[in-house]
This record gives sequence, C-alpha cells and structure tokens, in this order.
Amino acid sequence: MNKNLPFTPPTKMADVIHMDYRLIPIIGRFGIEYGFSNKTVTEVCNDYNINVWFFLEIINSYHNHDYFPQKELQKFNASLIVDYLSNTHAYYLNVKIPEIEGYIAQIKKEVSDKNQKNIELLSNFFSEYRIELENHLNREDAIVFPYTSFLEDAIVQNSITNEVVERVRSESIEHYARDHENMELKLSDLKNLIIRHLPPVMCKEVCQKLLTELFRLEVDLEDHSRIEDKVLVPKVIQLEQQILKASEAE
Amino acid sequence: MHKIKVCIADKHFIHRLGVKTILSVIGIEPDMFEADSFDATMSCLSDVGDIKFMVVAQEILCPDLDKSIKKLKAKSPDTKMLVVCNKPCNSHTGAKYILEKDTRQDVLEKFQSFFFEPEESNSENDSELLSEREVDVLKTVALGYSNKEIAEKLFISINTVISHRKNITEKLGIKTIAGLTVYAVMHDLIKPEDVKA
Repeated sequence: MNKNLPFTPPTKMADVIHMDYRLIPIIGRFGIEYGFSNKTVTEVCNDYNINVWFFLEIINSYHNHDYFPQKELQKFNASLIVDYLSNTHAYYLNVKIPEIEGYIAQIKKEVSDKNQKNIELLSNFFSEYRIELENHLNREDAIVFPYTSFLEDAIVQNSITNEVVERVRSESIEHYARDHENMELKLSDLKNLIIRHLPPVMCKEVCQKLLTELFRLEVDLEDHSRIEDKVLVPKVIQLEQQILKASEAE
Repeated sequence: MHKIKVCIADKHFIHRLGVKTILSVIGIEPDMFEADSFDATMSCLSDVGDIKFMVVAQEILCPDLDKSIKKLKAKSPDTKMLVVCNKPCNSHTGAKYILEKDTRQDVLEKFQSFFFEPEESNSENDSELLSEREVDVLKTVALGYSNKEIAEKLFISINTVISHRKNITEKLGIKTIAGLTVYAVMHDLIKPEDVKA
C-alpha cells in the first residue's frame, strides 16, 4: 500500500497500525482494543459503534500532514468532533501535564543546591505555560465547541431563526483566532533551556523522561491543532454556510 | 602577510633561546618579543598589542601563579598562554602547561597543539555565546523593556535593537520574552525582583 494514500473503509485495521505506529494512542482514544484479526476499518468501527468516516478523518489527518478532507465532512456530525476534541483537552490537562509536573517535582527533590534556582525557574516557566494552555483549551471548551453544537442543533431541528443567523454573522468561526503559535514557542523554549542552557542535573534519567514527554506533548498539540484546523473549522464553516443559504432561501 | 606575534617571558636568556629553538623546530617564524620580568611582560602585552601567543615561565609568575596568570589574561584576553611550571594552577584560566615531568616528545607535541590547534570554545562561560552589546540588550529585554525603551536606554536605533534581538534568539534558541528572562536569571545577568510586572 502506498504510504501517502489515505486510509479508506476497506483498509485492514492491522495495516493501519503497521503503516503508522504513531496512531496507536489515537486509536486507543476511540476505545478500540487489539485482536483485529483480518477485519477492515469499517468492520472494527461497526463493532465499536464508531462513525467510520469520522474515524478515517481523524487518523488520516494525523497520518498525512497534507491530507485535507472535503466531501467526507458531510458524512458525520460536528458533535463527534466536539466530543473527540473535548476528550483530548481533558487528556492533556488531566494526564499529560501532571505527568510532566511530576518529573519536574522529582528533579527538584534530587537536584544539587547549585542547580536549585535553575530548576525553580524552569518549574515556574512551565506553570505559566500550563495556565496559558488551560486558558486556551477552556476558551475552546466554553465558546467554540458550544457554538458548533448550537449550529448543528439549529440545522437538525430545522429552526433557523433570526437569532441563529445573527450569531453566525457576528460570531463566525473565523473570529476565533487560535493562538496556538505562542504556546508552541514557549514549549520549544522550555526544551531549549533544558537541552542547551541548564547545567547538568544529577538525576539524568528523570531529566531524559521529562524531555521526551515535552517532545511528545509538542507533537500531540501540533496534531491536535491540525485536527481543529482541518476537520473542525471546515465543518463549522460548512454549517455556517448551510445556515446562511437556508436563511436566504426563506 | 603579517607574522604572528609571540611573547617569550623568562628570566634567563638561555631559556628564552631554548623556546625560540623549539618554535623553529616546529616550523614557526613569528615576530618575537622577549620579557625578563612580570612587569616587563605586562608592558609588552600593552605596548605591542595583538600578541597571539605567550610562552611564560613559572618564575615570572611567582609568588602567586594563579593571580599572575589572571592579571596577564585581564591585560590581554585574546592571548593564548603556555606556562612552563611544576604543576598547573587550580582555577580555570584557559592557560596550557608544560610540566617538569614532560618528556622531550611531550614538550614538542604540546608546543605543536598550542600553536596549531584551533581555539577551543570556552563552554564554561555561557555569556560568551553573546557579544557584550547583545548581553546588554538581552538584559533589558528580560527585564521587560519595549524595543523603543531599549533603544533610548542604550542610545541605539530601534532597528539595531531588533537586529540584536534576532541574533540573541538565534544564538540561544529562545524565542519568547519569558524564556529569555529565565535564561538571564539563570546566568545571573538580572535579578528576578527587577523584572517589570
């Protein structure tokens, strides 16, 4: 199978993982367990009651950075994306961030007096980063996701009122400038402070784990932003256009 | 092409001659300057200027080897120093040493590496990553000043500030102001309590 071709409904689920093992945690987040035998993506998704088109959009977006879904967006509800993204937000805040904080706390305990000040500085730097990340994710949870669900509900219930149209005009998804970039810069600075400028610490293994986790978080967040840019935003734009078209027809 | 300038500092004429012979053996024909006391060595460094290498005997540096090396370094920071002595001094001065126990072969090899090997980068002092002016700019950025304020404070144009900031970011690999502040505090360039809120 050509590595650059997107995965499709008849692709064997085992081939998906062989082709790109970085999809292991993504598939795990859908609650899918191994032991696929020879089943296709469609068959496995049916077993778990997962919308196969949505599943494919997610794994294809992670797998190929240039992949851009078009027609398939019509084939699943926005609520699926919102649920998926909310879950990943919770995963960052409840699992990833505490894991990294745990490593920093461990280094703090074992660090020499001379390096104490430096670790304290890095720890504060990461705390500030965490607050910014929380604010950013909470803003999406509180504004962008409810807005998406609001649009979809209006369409499903066929209640395209003036209020809905007005909200589309004033709150269009394009108004939510996503400031991912600044947070990516901070994470990259933290890595460089450790790699290039922190005097060596005693507990090398913990420090290696910390660095590895920072790299993973960075990749994860990049992928997450891509899903937002390539799946969520185009889907919301479709919903907005659908609403505006319907209001014009009336 | 200009010849490289070498200063040979030793009380004894015969020792200085010995050093000259070794230089000739390893194929170096420098402009040579000789000094027979510590004061004469200091004057040589300041009067001649641009002396790239110095071979200096322990006797010249008595009684305090460490202190004397540092004084010479302070006078001429870019001069590489090869000290002929019993044992190296304790603190890091960047000097190289010829010791009593060294064999003929060792001495020749040390002379060769001293004159021909490229200068090691001094990884002990991180601030050397940046020029003096870049350190000035870094300090003000880390303290929270705007480009305009920095330009006024350091008497340079805003464009120069921006160009320094670009270089600092490239050299340190740190892009955000918060990151630069951490770096500056880490290296004792600023005090955390001085950072603007």
